[in-house]
Amino acid sequence: MPEGYFGQYVTIGIFAIVGTVLVAATLQLSRLVRPNHPTTAKLTTYESGIDPIGHGWSQSNVRYYIFALLFVVFDVEAVFLFPWAIVFEELGTAAFVEMVIFIGILALALLYAVKKRVLEWL
Amino acid sequence: MMELAQQVGATAAAVDWHAIAPELVLAATACIVLVADLFLPDDAKWLAMPLSAAGIIGTLAAIVSLIGAGNRLTLAGAFEVDGFALLFKGVFCVLGLLILAISFHYFRVGRYYQGEYYFLMLCSLLGGVVMSSARDLVTIFIAIELISIPGFIMAGLRKGDAKSNEAALKFFLFGVLSSAVMLYGMSLAYGATGELLLEGIRAKLTAADEPLIVLSVFFIVVGFAFKISAVPFHFWAPDTYEGSPSPVAAFLSTISKIGGFVGLIVLMFRAFPDVADTWRPIFALLAILTMTVGNMIALRQTHIIRLLAYSGIAQSGYVLVALALIEPGATASNEQAFQSAVIYLAIYGIMDAGAFAAAVAFARRGGSYFIEDYSGLWQRSPVLATLLAGFLISLAGTPPMAGFWAKVFVFLAAIEAQSYLLAIVMGLNAVVAAWYYLAVVKKMFFEKAELAEPVEVPAVLRVAMGLAAAALVAVFVYPRLVTELAERSLF
Amino acid sequence: MPISYFLVLSALLFSVGVYGVLARQNAVLVLLSIELMLNAVNINLVAFSAFFGSEGVGGQVFALFVIAVAAAEVGVGLAIVILLFRNRQTVDVDEMSYMKW
Repeated sequence: MPEGYFGQYVTIGIFAIVGTVLVAATLQLSRLVRPNHPTTAKLTTYESGIDPIGHGWSQSNVRYYIFALLFVVFDVEAVFLFPWAIVFEELGTAAFVEMVIFIGILALALLYAVKKRVLEWL
Repeated sequence: MMELAQQVGATAAAVDWHAIAPELVLAATACIVLVADLFLPDDAKWLAMPLSAAGIIGTLAAIVSLIGAGNRLTLAGAFEVDGFALLFKGVFCVLGLLILAISFHYFRVGRYYQGEYYFLMLCSLLGGVVMSSARDLVTIFIAIELISIPGFIMAGLRKGDAKSNEAALKFFLFGVLSSAVMLYGMSLAYGATGELLLEGIRAKLTAADEPLIVLSVFFIVVGFAFKISAVPFHFWAPDTYEGSPSPVAAFLSTISKIGGFVGLIVLMFRAFPDVADTWRPIFALLAILTMTVGNMIALRQTHIIRLLAYSGIAQSGYVLVALALIEPGATASNEQAFQSAVIYLAIYGIMDAGAFAAAVAFARRGGSYFIEDYSGLWQRSPVLATLLAGFLISLAGTPPMAGFWAKVFVFLAAIEAQSYLLAIVMGLNAVVAAWYYLAVVKKMFFEKAELAEPVEVPAVLRVAMGLAAAALVAVFVYPRLVTELAERSLF
Repeated sequence: MPISYFLVLSALLFSVGVYGVLARQNAVLVLLSIELMLNAVNINLVAFSAFFGSEGVGGQVFALFVIAVAAAEVGVGLAIVILLFRNRQTVDVDEMSYMKW
């Protein structure tokens, strides 16, 4: 075994080479040994044994756009939380109350969404 | 980030709660309306309207409590309560009540999302109320967006109607585009001075780079020109007004437009008065185009809402005339121009909302929005015909209504500032405008009706229109009512 | 780095946005172009903020507000576009011509 700090990289290099060669060699070996009779059924996309339906670019139901809209709005409101968190200790209770009001108004929006039954997963 | 902390910590002074009381009341009302609507049964949803009205009256009370309390500056200088702010907060609240009256039966009968509508309207109104006090770029930006964004949704409230969808999309695209342009101008103003407060920008302007400021002012004015539907940035307005529910059109053409003007006036008079030479020609050009094109197209309209839309565009032009008269240093004539703009906006709001109210009242049951159907309205419904005639006469600027003084003051200010070209163009336009307003009046009074049955007007609407018309007559008889307020609103 | 680099970048981005608004027919792409314009504004604000050093924290705060408002606008805008697609089966802005003059 080579010695020293950089010598350890040589060890890693040897392992990497051996590993790569081993995988490549095994795959090539199996290719030589196995029979090869491709049929349409065998060439279909593997989908856990079920027949694949539609294309890779499948469409999700458009009614889920509401989740996306809600996510965008709430996600972006977080930009106000970070500056607030930094100065929170200096500003004390007032800042806390103000942020509670802010989040409270957002919670109203969430309440609205719940009451309008848009959050039910169909 | 520590610098950020220190900076914010240093400026987070005590908030003057009394100064922001009107906004707090209005915001709380909006939240209450939203939640109340969720728990009200379907046949009681109309209660959202009286609830909103109570909130706006509460806001008015808070505004009245601030009168005579002197100028108040809070939120680190971003929010100021002075005569100007109080006047426009009052105007917005009164207009809000008028719009509520126009909306009530329309939305109750149509059952279009009543709670949501009143919530959105209150939010938009809140934007206007905040705008009156906004004294820094961020607050002005937030206020204008608060006015606009609920407006996009309100315009599209009739979800199944393709026209309403189209109205919402056009309004949305133009609105967002104009915000982006305006913001770019604001970012340049910030870059040239390093200040967000309008006072700070004004103080540092002398040392700033001139081309940057010219560019910044140009972008800001173009952005606002969309909001106030000045020609050539007016294309969205008639389509949006026609396609959206009529009370929303009334809202957009009064509160939303006046909100844009308030923002523009605050920016121009508080941040950029010393560089008025750069923006006066822009305003002069916009004013001439807006008045002329608006009136010319209005001449050939057959749909009352589109007529009001184009005439509203032309009315914006008259206010722009007042803004085009500002010259650095000429204090006396500047003050006169400023006051005439303020008076014009206040009177315009009332008379335009009144005209929309009459149009909605007429179109309610089996009526229509087409002007030819107005013929002989005098025989069918003398009260409605008289009220509508009053509002149209006021819009035309003829006695005995307040619209007369509005035009006269702007005209006199133009003479005082020796802008004779603007004065002449304005005079000619007033004549053209009188033509199409009075044509409707003539139709109502001197032509025969095809139908005989009277037009039924709900009590709420009748009271609202009556009060608005009475106010307009009162101001005509005694113009001190508004000139006094305008004098106190000088910056 | 000199501030002009950022300003040029932002001006270019803004111009691309304006071009997109004028040239695109799909409402969603118009919306995206407007977002580009808003982001150009943000670059301006943050670049100026850095340029002014510790004095210039306001620009960053402004940028945060612009981001938040832009998100709200996108929410409303996409909702309107979806509504329109439901009723008209198209989001082509050139076909929005039920009302003219």
